[in-house]
Amino acid sequence: MGIKLKSFFASGFFLTSIFAVSLFMLLYISSISYKHTKSLTESSGLLMQSYKVQFQLEYIASMLKDAETGQRGYIITHDTLLLSPYKTAEGKIYKSYLKLKSLSDNKQQNANLDSLLQLINFRFELMAHSLNIVSAPKVDAKQLDENLLHGKNVMDKIRLLIYKMEEFELSDFQEQQKTYEHEALFSPMSTILILIFSFLVFIFSFIKIMRDLHNLKESNENLSITNESMKHAEIIGEFGISVWDLDSKELHFSDNLFRLLGCEPQSFQATVENYSNYVHPDDRHIIATGADKTLNEHKAYPRNYRIIRKDGEIRYFSSLGKFISEGNRRLHLGVGKDITDQQLNKLALEEKNRELEQSISELESFNRVASHDLQEPLRKIQTFISRFSSNEKEKMSETGKEYLSRIEFSANRMRILIDDLLLFSSTNKSEKVFEKTDLNLLLVNAQLDLAQVIDEKNAVIHSSQLPVLKVIAFQIQQLFVNLIGNALKYSKPGISPVISIDCEKLAVSDYPLFIKDTQRKFYKISISDNGMGFDQQFSEKIFILFSRLYPKTEYPGSGIGLSICKKIVENHDGFIIAEGKPDIGATFIVFLPV
Amino acid sequence: MFQEPIQIVLADDDEDDRLFFKDAFEEIKIKTKVKFVKDGIELMNHLTENGNQLPHILFLDLNMPRKNGIECLLEIKRMNNLKNMAIAIYSTSSSSQDIEETFVQGANVYIKKPNDFNTLKRILLEVIKVDWQYQTSGLNRANYLLSL
Repeated sequence: MGIKLKSFFASGFFLTSIFAVSLFMLLYISSISYKHTKSLTESSGLLMQSYKVQFQLEYIASMLKDAETGQRGYIITHDTLLLSPYKTAEGKIYKSYLKLKSLSDNKQQNANLDSLLQLINFRFELMAHSLNIVSAPKVDAKQLDENLLHGKNVMDKIRLLIYKMEEFELSDFQEQQKTYEHEALFSPMSTILILIFSFLVFIFSFIKIMRDLHNLKESNENLSITNESMKHAEIIGEFGISVWDLDSKELHFSDNLFRLLGCEPQSFQATVENYSNYVHPDDRHIIATGADKTLNEHKAYPRNYRIIRKDGEIRYFSSLGKFISEGNRRLHLGVGKDITDQQLNKLALEEKNRELEQSISELESFNRVASHDLQEPLRKIQTFISRFSSNEKEKMSETGKEYLSRIEFSANRMRILIDDLLLFSSTNKSEKVFEKTDLNLLLVNAQLDLAQVIDEKNAVIHSSQLPVLKVIAFQIQQLFVNLIGNALKYSKPGISPVISIDCEKLAVSDYPLFIKDTQRKFYKISISDNGMGFDQQFSEKIFILFSRLYPKTEYPGSGIGLSICKKIVENHDGFIIAEGKPDIGATFIVFLPV
Repeated sequence: MFQEPIQIVLADDDEDDRLFFKDAFEEIKIKTKVKFVKDGIELMNHLTENGNQLPHILFLDLNMPRKNGIECLLEIKRMNNLKNMAIAIYSTSSSSQDIEETFVQGANVYIKKPNDFNTLKRILLEVIKVDWQYQTSGLNRANYLLSL
């Protein structure tokens, strides 16, 4: 509701209605004023008429009185001079009557006027009769008295009627006056009220218009700021804008779009054809089908193509579109972006990637050569040695036998190196299939693998319960083989190896040194022995590929075993540490995530 | 065990390996007759030639020129008269991919070429002593790779 009202106030409709109301009020005030003035004129006319009527009536009465007085004087004195008012009165009275007749527009008053005329005529008749009586040689005094008395009665009636008529005229005027006074009082009041109201409406409209103008100015300013920012954003962001009116088919390009094409802003007409001229010939179909789909199917989709700038430089472009409606207009907004840098980076990255893939595959083939192809001749050397030593040994000199056994030792060592190298690389690249596996089972398998050495060394292995974990089974088994094998190999001469395998579950926070992710829980599996141990300073070095702490003649090995262990544990998102004390023993601790 | 000599075929392009193989069988005190072929094409020709007696057991190297061991294995298992023949894969490779694939394709046993002559003799003796016709039913992944 509030929003509706607000939008109503903001609309042009509101202002239009205010002006309509104001106009209506002005018309109303004008008509009131006109009516008022008119009735004022009417009223004064009426007053005038009333006075005139009174005057004429008074005049008639006065004339009659004069005539009567003159006649009486004549009757007494017989002086004919006294008869002159009587002689002129009749004509004058008739003139007055005509005047009254013209003044009166009232029916009642007209009827009164007619009766007045009759009475006057009758009076004149009586007066004439009186004169006849007096003029006769023998004056009949009795008849004269009667006639005079009659005349007096008629005169009284005339006076009464005149009085009545004056009264009527006055009352008519007073009535008119009353209406007029009422109107005269009412109309200024309403006029003032309406004027005040109009005044308020105008003030309100004025404020509203001023505010609208202010808002308009402000939004104009904002618009120009937005426009300006947009222009700079286009330059900074290396993009240009096209606006396409879908109905009028009118196309507009922003200045920067021209700049991106290497042209002066608005230097050519914005059309699809003109734009296509700057598109790489091989990519023009992309623009053509794109424009077609935009117009006919109203589909906007991203397009990548190349541009040949005015100076001949090839740039990579990416266009995105969106359909928008502004008022009644349906528009397609297109954003063209120069993505040359990204594209070149991408291409360079892809090239690097290809190189990397190539070097990986080279490494793999090298690995295959190192492991498989080197095994082949080595196997033959070893087989020939074994044939040689079993068939020809008796015939050889002691030195020859010595040399042969050294050759055999070297060949065996090479075998170990190749096997371990193969194992190490397969730990890296083999498929990592994690399966829920009972680690106890893997430990048993590892011990079976080492059964011969365990027997030879008369070793004792204590193991506690291990968990079931999601692991790469063969790798964990290899881990156990390597760690237990290590413990067996570096046992103290003449002392039976005792190896303990312990397991406990713990939070990483107990070993904050190693892992940042303190939320997780880990299994800590430790393998400790009573062997030769090592100085703690070597605890990290021993995990490095090909590193050894003891001469290879005494302890044959490739120096790869512990590196493999480290790799395996890392494959499982865990970590491994070594703790050693010379002549007391070594402990390898493996942490595997739960 | 056998009155007749055991018919054996070895398909291997490596001359030295053929020599070790020949020497090993000569030293084993069992009557055998070993036929050597140098590659897959020669092997298939030999097996499909009329009049040639089928071997009791075929030792098949994987890495051979012209036609490799896997291709031969696939071909043999598709032929009705050959598909029941016992096949021992005899390869330098111990890659799990090779072991898996040959097992799936129906080879009977996988032998990794040993690097000791005496081991070779022990393995060969072990293999020819098995009655493969009977053994096949109990074949599984665990004992497929022969380890001695």
